[in-house]
Amino acid sequence: MSSTTHDDHAHPHPHPHAPIEEKGEAAEFAILEAAIRELSIAKGLFSAEDHRRFMEWYDKVGPTGGARMVARAWVDPAFKQRLLADGVTACKEIGVDWLQPTGSGTPSDYTYLITCENTPKVHNVIVCTLCSCYPRPLLGLSPAWYERPTYRRRVVRWPRQVLAEFGTIIPPDVEVRVHDSNQKTRYIVLPMRPAGTEGWSEEKLATIVTRDTMIGVALPSADWTVSSTPTHG
Amino acid sequence: MSRFKIGDRVTVRDIPPLFHTRTQGYTRGRTGTVVALRPEWVIPEDEAWGRYEGRREPFYIVRFNQRDLWPDYGGAALDTLETEFSERWLEPAS
Amino acid sequence: MATRATSSSSTYAALMECVRSHAPASHAVANLPLTISQTRAEALLHVVHDVGGQPDGPIDKTLHKPAHWEKSTHCTAECLAWRGHWVSEERRRRENDLGETLYFGTPYYARWLLAATKMLLDKGLVTPDELLAKMEEIRAREEIAA
Repeated sequence: MSSTTHDDHAHPHPHPHAPIEEKGEAAEFAILEAAIRELSIAKGLFSAEDHRRFMEWYDKVGPTGGARMVARAWVDPAFKQRLLADGVTACKEIGVDWLQPTGSGTPSDYTYLITCENTPKVHNVIVCTLCSCYPRPLLGLSPAWYERPTYRRRVVRWPRQVLAEFGTIIPPDVEVRVHDSNQKTRYIVLPMRPAGTEGWSEEKLATIVTRDTMIGVALPSADWTVSSTPTHG
Repeated sequence: MSRFKIGDRVTVRDIPPLFHTRTQGYTRGRTGTVVALRPEWVIPEDEAWGRYEGRREPFYIVRFNQRDLWPDYGGAALDTLETEFSERWLEPAS
Repeated sequence: MATRATSSSSTYAALMECVRSHAPASHAVANLPLTISQTRAEALLHVVHDVGGQPDGPIDKTLHKPAHWEKSTHCTAECLAWRGHWVSEERRRRENDLGETLYFGTPYYARWLLAATKMLLDKGLVTPDELLAKMEEIRAREEIAA
């Protein structure tokens, strides 16, 4: 049956009709969200105070904790060993406590941390194909592309192509190791300290450790910080 | 006690998924090597259906060669993938 | 009994093609088929979130600034877990239970929101009447504010 003309059959509604118009953002989800939150608080399932604390946490988390962690590992070999041995405990040294305030709330999300160390022979990249598990206490909320299906579908099977789309070319004699975060463990990449950063302070090093370098889709570089603007020179 | 140790070759059991799973389809029936032991946790098959204090099992991180996962893998032969399984999902590789 | 498509890496790759064919840019309206092939049944029963290895196009790197309801949904889901009403693995299972159309067709946090709402209803923590009345109250309140 043709879907483009209606001449060949009786039709119960008048023609031509305008296509369904879609405009603006849906109000429906905002209304539903307010409804279940207000009902939950009214019934004592959690308190308004609980919710406010999480809203503050949401606004506060970002990739600065991860950047501090990497910079410390670059300058302090003993810290790096503690980090590789027990990530959650070592993170307390840089002021990130995986068990507070969210640990009791989401034990499945915040229980163990494995730091994947890049070496001249291994490049690590993280993904969660089944949902969007992400080391939030260190990196904050994940970028949309990490949550959306395209990255999840492709990076486990075509990792080198995906990295290339981020501008990252890994030589063929370097192993690309994908970490698919599917249970309680969370992963973060410890990139290699780039050339040209000799003698830098821990604080200065942290400025070149971007979110993408800790997901593993990019490599840090001495002339690039999170606040850099590309220039043509 | 953990049934497997680091270095063991293991094959992922091909149990049909029923509405939910934490074992990716692409790993089922594939063979890899145990590279890390993880502590015991409640298995996701129980947590997912509301049994928060359910059965606890050791977990393992298994490393696969990409060419053992994907017949048409186009990257380097040395590329690998690691992911995690509860003990019930693994059997000794034959 | 038919062999399952996960039995080898090549048949699994073929299954992934079939799973992807359920979610093309546009597709025919489903109409309760009278019979179904084993391959298609497996593809339909393939758990919706298990997407690793499915063919797809270039990565859209657009970033998204969350709306207030998205942020608040995340926090409500965490508070419900914090106070023992569910755990994140149950949330993920309930997101799958929404089915493919809602799983892929709504923003990321809409899945969390719908899963949380159905959990509250399923467990009797909130009744449908209470929810509808509250939504009406909020709608009226918002209209007055506007």
